[in-house]
Amino acid sequence: MSEKDRIKRLLKEADIYRTQGLLSDSRAKYLEILSLIGKNSTFSQNQRLLDGVKSKIRAVDKSLRELHDRPDKPELTQDMQKLIKKLFTFSQTKEAAAIEGAVALAKFGQYDHALNEFHSLLEQGILPLVTAKNIVRCYIALRKPEAAGEQYAKWLSRDLFSFDELKQLRAFILGALKKEGIEIPLPEVTARPRKGTRARKVEDTFLEISAVSIHLQGGPFQNQTFDFEVQFQSANTVTVHLPSSRKEVAEFLAPGTRLDDIQCYSPITVFRSSGTIAGTATIKHGPKQGDYTLDITIDAD
Amino acid sequence: MTGLARRIFLRIMAIFNAKDRIIECKLVYYGPGRGGKTTNLEYIFKAFNKNTSAEMVSINTMGDRTLFFDFLPIGLGKIRGCEVKIQLYTVPGQARYRSTRKMVLKGVDGVVFVADSLEVRRKANMLSLKDLAENLKDESKSVFQIPLVLQYNKRDLGEQGIPLLPVDLMNQDLNSKLKVPYFEASALKGSGVGTTLKQALLLTLRQLQKELDWTK
Repeated sequence: MSEKDRIKRLLKEADIYRTQGLLSDSRAKYLEILSLIGKNSTFSQNQRLLDGVKSKIRAVDKSLRELHDRPDKPELTQDMQKLIKKLFTFSQTKEAAAIEGAVALAKFGQYDHALNEFHSLLEQGILPLVTAKNIVRCYIALRKPEAAGEQYAKWLSRDLFSFDELKQLRAFILGALKKEGIEIPLPEVTARPRKGTRARKVEDTFLEISAVSIHLQGGPFQNQTFDFEVQFQSANTVTVHLPSSRKEVAEFLAPGTRLDDIQCYSPITVFRSSGTIAGTATIKHGPKQGDYTLDITIDAD
Repeated sequence: MTGLARRIFLRIMAIFNAKDRIIECKLVYYGPGRGGKTTNLEYIFKAFNKNTSAEMVSINTMGDRTLFFDFLPIGLGKIRGCEVKIQLYTVPGQARYRSTRKMVLKGVDGVVFVADSLEVRRKANMLSLKDLAENLKDESKSVFQIPLVLQYNKRDLGEQGIPLLPVDLMNQDLNSKLKVPYFEASALKGSGVGTTLKQALLLTLRQLQKELDWTK
């Protein structure tokens, strides 16, 4: 192939990549052409050719800059936001679905609208702790850490949360900000809630967990994953069922065993956590006689 | 607990209404950015217009890159007495939209992986498939178990002298372990789009039959 044909072929290639939106690949090809031209005494004198290729590179660079500068998640129309909520809400309970819809908006970068929804849900008392954490997440995503701090101060002065919940929220906000490399002072929770507080027990607000997957990282079941349906839940302790045929697993998961990798499934979200086997028991009566139950305490973040 | 039980608990799987005999499942077009996922859906929308129950929703801004997702609901009519509805989605391919891809993958029943046949996109294909496997894992699903079809798109560009990856090499890169059905395609011209979709639907509905026994 002659040099001329080679340059022609490369130009075609670069142009097609550009029309395909493969801007970096296109740019690389144009640069390759410039390099080829530079090495060829005849073509290097061809100012029109040189200018043409350089102009294409400038155009690609402009498109790349525009791509780089545009917002990752632009604000969508209300109709689109409604559609997102509809398509990404799977829970059947009204409360969980409401949270899920707002979480979907946040996940798609519609933070302002999501914030409005979370605030409204909080005022209605729907899963306050979960909702409050999502409000904080939105502020952090919006790069408004000071707003998260101010929000916390407002929560401190109101009776929406119990003493323990406020402590949890404070730790959550500090942890979330720390991950972003931000440190802001947050007042300590020093006093129990005032009389007449709307505080609830922590167990009322611990996320409902439907199922757990435990990935064991050591012992005879190293690298094995066990899936369990949750039979019962009290606060952050879930009870799961294990058939008698898995006796060796039940024996291995003795009380006190640490579980460093637990995937928890709730109607709202799936999250990774850790925990401890709080107790085991053998079912002594009924159709599941001989099977085991395990109590697992999930670490609260 | 079986995968099925977990998905029922999560309520994020194909919806089967046994009373009215309606099944609704979700197919996601995945792959590297600018690979032709949206073009696939656009072709399907045009070609299967009579089966589409609504408009295709494409949330794009500035140019034609997918920033969020495309959504196209289609109806397949009755299969063994059951009304079959399919929701087709695409994900944004650019690496920086990982959280959006994860979101769109929630409750997925089947995947079409649209690989770009251009030689310069070899690495992007492999990275995207790896990203798919990781995101499915986070959903407690396996790339080896989910109904999956590979589509090697843009084969038509070979006619214009653009360097393409040989199909054997694409299979070696992407399909040596998966061993799933693959199809050559040109989404722009429509070739291979229908066969890819048909095979993906077949695998997905077969899998759902195992899990939900919806044709019973």
